[in-house]
Amino acid sequence: MNIEISGVTRRFGRNLAVAGVDVEIGPGVFGLLGPNGAGKTTLLRMMATVITPSAGTLRLLGRDPVRYEPRREIRRRLGYLPQNLGYYPGFTVVEFVEYFALLKQVPPARVAAAVAAAVERVDLGGKARAKLRTLSGGMLRRVGIAQAIVNEPGLLLLDEPTAGLDPEQRVAFRGLLRDLGQRATVVVSTHLVEDVGAACTEVALMDAGKIVFHGTPAELTARGEGTTTAGDAPLERGYSAVLLESRS
Amino acid sequence: MTTAEIVRPPAAPAGTTRRIPAGIRLTWLHLRSRRVPAGVLGLAVCGGVLRVALHWHWAFNSGPYAQQLPMIIEAGAAAVIVVAAHSLFGETERSAGRWLPYLRLFAAAGMCGLAIALLQLGAAGEGLNEGVLVLSRNVIGITGIGLLCSLVTGGLLAWTLPMGYLVFCQYALLQAWTAPWTWPVRPPADRGAWICACAVFTAGLLLFTIRGPRTFLSDPS
Amino acid sequence: MTAAGISLRPGPATARRMARVAAAGRLLRLELKRNAVPYVLPLLAAAFYFDTVRTADGFPPVWTLRASVIGDHMLFEFSAFAAGLAAWAGSRERRRKTLDMAATTPRAAWARLSVTLAGTLCWLLLALLAGVAVLYIQTALQATWGGPPLWPVFVGAAGVTAVTMIGFTCGVVFPGRFTAPLVAIGVLVLYQTGLRQALGVTSSSGTYALLSPANAPPSVDAGVYYHLAPDVPITQVMFMGGIAIALLGVLGLVAALRQPASAGGLRSLRAALARSDGWLLRGVAVILVACGVAASWTAFALAGTAKPDATGGWQIPALHSAASDHPMPVTQDCTSSGFGVCVHPAFSFYLHDLAAALDPVAAEIAGLPGAPTRAEEVASVSGGQDVQSGISGNPPVFEFTAERVGSMFGQFYGIPDPVGWREGFQQGLLDAFLTGRPPHAGTVPIQLGAAQQAVEDALLTTAGTNLSATIGTMLQNGQPVAGPPAAVSAAHRFATLSAGARHAWLAAHLAALRTGKITLAQIP
Repeated sequence: MNIEISGVTRRFGRNLAVAGVDVEIGPGVFGLLGPNGAGKTTLLRMMATVITPSAGTLRLLGRDPVRYEPRREIRRRLGYLPQNLGYYPGFTVVEFVEYFALLKQVPPARVAAAVAAAVERVDLGGKARAKLRTLSGGMLRRVGIAQAIVNEPGLLLLDEPTAGLDPEQRVAFRGLLRDLGQRATVVVSTHLVEDVGAACTEVALMDAGKIVFHGTPAELTARGEGTTTAGDAPLERGYSAVLLESRS
Repeated sequence: MTTAEIVRPPAAPAGTTRRIPAGIRLTWLHLRSRRVPAGVLGLAVCGGVLRVALHWHWAFNSGPYAQQLPMIIEAGAAAVIVVAAHSLFGETERSAGRWLPYLRLFAAAGMCGLAIALLQLGAAGEGLNEGVLVLSRNVIGITGIGLLCSLVTGGLLAWTLPMGYLVFCQYALLQAWTAPWTWPVRPPADRGAWICACAVFTAGLLLFTIRGPRTFLSDPS
Repeated sequence: MTAAGISLRPGPATARRMARVAAAGRLLRLELKRNAVPYVLPLLAAAFYFDTVRTADGFPPVWTLRASVIGDHMLFEFSAFAAGLAAWAGSRERRRKTLDMAATTPRAAWARLSVTLAGTLCWLLLALLAGVAVLYIQTALQATWGGPPLWPVFVGAAGVTAVTMIGFTCGVVFPGRFTAPLVAIGVLVLYQTGLRQALGVTSSSGTYALLSPANAPPSVDAGVYYHLAPDVPITQVMFMGGIAIALLGVLGLVAALRQPASAGGLRSLRAALARSDGWLLRGVAVILVACGVAASWTAFALAGTAKPDATGGWQIPALHSAASDHPMPVTQDCTSSGFGVCVHPAFSFYLHDLAAALDPVAAEIAGLPGAPTRAEEVASVSGGQDVQSGISGNPPVFEFTAERVGSMFGQFYGIPDPVGWREGFQQGLLDAFLTGRPPHAGTVPIQLGAAQQAVEDALLTTAGTNLSATIGTMLQNGQPVAGPPAAVSAAHRFATLSAGARHAWLAAHLAALRTGKITLAQIP
């Protein structure tokens, strides 16, 4: 298992953002669904070693991120795309990805090739030399994905990766996710259930800081069958049914 | 459900009507969005530093050196005013309505007045070399330069041109230049200096009011 | 083992080191490309021209004098922008919201911040060195002696580094919009306060203010007759360098504590420390802080032991080398015709102008008792005391200094101003001749009596000098004032005599004139 989370909680002042989560995630694409404020981003940030849990234990890629050396090793094999992508407007696409490749200690001899490959994989080869300030929101998102995958991570964490992407790009991105999921653990936090349905092998649904469902997309769909819950697609109905059940 | 219910909004529940007029509320929110409260704190710090500097004789009592330190602090106050001009909202705000120019004008002019008051408070009883007139002239003139700079660089870097002008004026002070556009080094009664400073401030305030500071899509929000 | 068995490929440790260096180089290259400093360089260049270059242009082309503008002026301009731009750079990760992404990378936060800092500092130091190059090239084209001093450059570089570190650390710790301008202003206030304190330094008032790189310009012949002791620049570099090193260590400690805390209290502190860059890096950071504080404290303590030296500067006993107390051997440049004038080669630039100024005046008094046969420049400080000009020796020689000629201060500063300096030197020679005063130590300038002043005015007039341009006709409380009508009338009378009559009268009455026994009415 690449991610082992046991009894993890996280507080911000009096706000309990994550209220006791137990989950184990292996290779493949893992979807994290949930309404706004469910704690998805907080959980993802803990997996990204940005913040530490208030309680519980967390193991990533077989290591304990609390200690310095294991944390460094985890980060060498980690890719992270946050919900709000920050960037340096004067950078070109290549420079931005190169910058993070170097920070991730990709061997200098391989940086150029890794950057080129990452940029091509997100279909920004034609915009490689363009400054970031000239790119649209969707392209910026793809640049963010490129920096996340440039080091061929064993653990890839993506928070709302398809925000701003057009339908064609979302389809291509799902293909990329499936491809990456063959070699690594990919955790995708999203509102878009169709992305989860198309690309994820496992899905967890969070609500109020807890995981209220963990299974396959098919199992989630099955939870909505025979119910009158809201939703235009079977997976959405399953999503609504689980939430309703957990709140009642 | 009829269209009448859509056209006529429902009455607010009892006890929830705001007592604060909308204009004041809007102004307050605008000032908060510009971090004006923190800016006022910054201006108070400038006033405090001026008081300490005068009290402990960090500056010279007379001669060309005497005006150097007060000029630096006045430029600092002007820099705080122009940096407060930076907008977090960019295009969203610009397209939102017609009150924005008035709010900008109020914020800039108000902070200018507050800066002069706080600096004068800091200098009260401590013998500021050239007095409150030169202090006021410096603050409004250098603020005008900063507001003009913000049209090009945006609010966050609008302090750079006032800083360059300050360096230039330090040299002009020691060389006793008399040109009116070196108003920080001119005596209080110099009419040309007043005209110049006021003209720069007016031009800067006017353009700033109409156009606002330059915003970039990549500006931090 | 044969040579064939030796691998030419670097070992693993070397390869790792080379990879680290290559990666650091690439990161630095990226940082240099996107740093904000280049955009402000035109403004900095304009400030440099107006303040530093124009000030230096007004100084005689003496290396130590011209180099003094680095600490007095260049550092002021650079401080204004270095602190603000460094604060801007330090706050960038927060402003651009890249902190989360960057924090998930294995490189230590300290390393990441150091790259940003290095990029900013590189640009600023390059700009400083470019400015110094302009200054030194300009001086090299004009100077007639000596070479570019390096200590002012070291002090300037240390100052820029310290100010950049202050600004950057403030930007990291307080990444708000007001940090950059407030830090810039704060540094300027510090600079001016240091200047104020430094200008008032005496051995009894406490010499800690010598640590300020800003100071009054040195005497015109500083570093010309005697080596300029590097004692004070060494302590300045040590002080500012210590601040920079300590702040670098603080940066290493603070980088981890920037990240969001969890529950608060001791748990959050432990969590923050656990998240930080490892015990080794933390240890290095603590050591740097300790070393920096120790260096600055040592410099502070050393500065407190400073005492005036025999050459008019300051020496710090623990750092002082006795070699700088000995005069530098030099052969003076002298004119070969007319009234002989000799100057130190550093002032050769002025030799012929000076000779042309003194020649007609010397001709007026040639042959009279005590009239100098030549003029010679001497050091302005001797034995720790200021030297006033005078006439001594046999045959008499008019000895003047670059700092003081007669009652006039800093005559060499006046050149090439067409009005004033020429008259000052002429007046200096006549002051010494008419009072019979030898060169001596002290600060009391020559003061002429009414009759002496009238004779001097007359001699200046007959030498072709425009009296209205004379720098004062009498001194009252050290300030030049117009002479009374009787003195002006006596001067006019004396000037209208023939050269022979003037000469004869002076030959007969010079001794009485010098002792103040001649009145205005007795002047023919």
